[in-house]
Amino acid sequence: MDGYLLYSGCLIPSRLPFLEASSRFVLDRLGVTYEPFPEGTCCVEPIGLRSLGYDAWLLVVARMLSIAESRGKDVLMLCNGCFLSFKEAAHALEDERVRHRVNQGLAEIGREYHGGARVRHLMEVLQEVGSSRMESMVTAPQDRLRLALHPGCHVIRPAKVLRVDAHYSPRVLADIASRTGAQVVSNDAWPRCCGGGLAGVDDRISSAILQDNVDSFKAAGANCILTPCPFCFVQFDLRQKQGLPVLYLSELVALAFGASPELIGLKYHRTKLE
Amino acid sequence: MRKVALRPGLEDELKDALSQLELWRCHQCGQCTPVCPSARHGGIRTREVMERASTGAMDLSMDQEIWKCVMCNSCSERCQLGVDPAHVITLLRNAAAQRGNRPEHFAEELKLFASSGMSFPRTGLTRKMRKEFSLPELDVSEGTMEELRRLISSTRLGRL
Repeated sequence: MDGYLLYSGCLIPSRLPFLEASSRFVLDRLGVTYEPFPEGTCCVEPIGLRSLGYDAWLLVVARMLSIAESRGKDVLMLCNGCFLSFKEAAHALEDERVRHRVNQGLAEIGREYHGGARVRHLMEVLQEVGSSRMESMVTAPQDRLRLALHPGCHVIRPAKVLRVDAHYSPRVLADIASRTGAQVVSNDAWPRCCGGGLAGVDDRISSAILQDNVDSFKAAGANCILTPCPFCFVQFDLRQKQGLPVLYLSELVALAFGASPELIGLKYHRTKLE
Repeated sequence: MRKVALRPGLEDELKDALSQLELWRCHQCGQCTPVCPSARHGGIRTREVMERASTGAMDLSMDQEIWKCVMCNSCSERCQLGVDPAHVITLLRNAAAQRGNRPEHFAEELKLFASSGMSFPRTGLTRKMRKEFSLPELDVSEGTMEELRRLISSTRLGRL
């Protein structure tokens, strides 16, 4: 479907605007139309803020779902955290009793949610484009890349709510990556966590989890990591000490579509791609 | 389920929440622990937390282990009995936060969210980069902030 509300969250627009730039480049090339979501706030991210206030999380996301519903457009997400937050809230709000209770809170601000919003992740949208169409647009095959795939927890689990890919042996990211001409050398059957959820809370454990990932990627012969999640991106790009570069999903596709590194801001990566 | 040691007022709320989660389903099989990336490095011991949540053997004003969960949902995905340990831990954290037990990192994040509607700060570099890539200004309107304040004032976040 066309005509999305583009919800980029807070990490991408504030710290990683270059990921927004490559996402827009890819959507524009594919003819996927979108408009801004100016009423958007933080999704009350599911690691820290939701841990402090589950009730506030549900209300705040319900507000945004009600706005999307009244516009009659699907919400397009660039971040796994936002995606999980929105999908789990929409799922919880399928229960009429929960929705009734939440709507009493939303009435305070003159809003109401009826259960009709749809939420999509960039990875799903790219998958739907189809391989032949995407491959026909590849002008710069990324055949020098040997990718370690890192879908990130919050586009996979809980699989029965997110419904993007299988929780065991997922393949969507591999499908998209292979259309760009890149080689996939590592794709965990049980997708790993990057450790980002403990960054700033328990840095020792966070770094140890991160290192587990990178060790296995290196052992598989990867020269780059691919992720559709900006939180994982930050963990790999900023906090990783082993020098393996990372690409966000739209960056890989943009490069394959012929975008120059300057146009999509690859210079802002801490760990440079060769 | 036996008593969970909590201050009056919170106790019922937490008991209610935990009872809806069907903690009785937990057989203590331990499948949640080997898939936990934090457990591998001496962080949270998921099966033990589930046991302590079921029996109420937990002091939520002090417990540090619940804050060592990385929220990857591996345990919940693996659990064959549908107990959803990650959600249990989320609710335990909610109650702990109300008792003043919360990591400074998350407390700071909440301050930023409550004051700006965003969880990451907008800096000079934000503006510079957004301009460089011809992206619209990042702005949460006063109207949106007012809605946000009214929504969260009556919630647990509003009480923190």
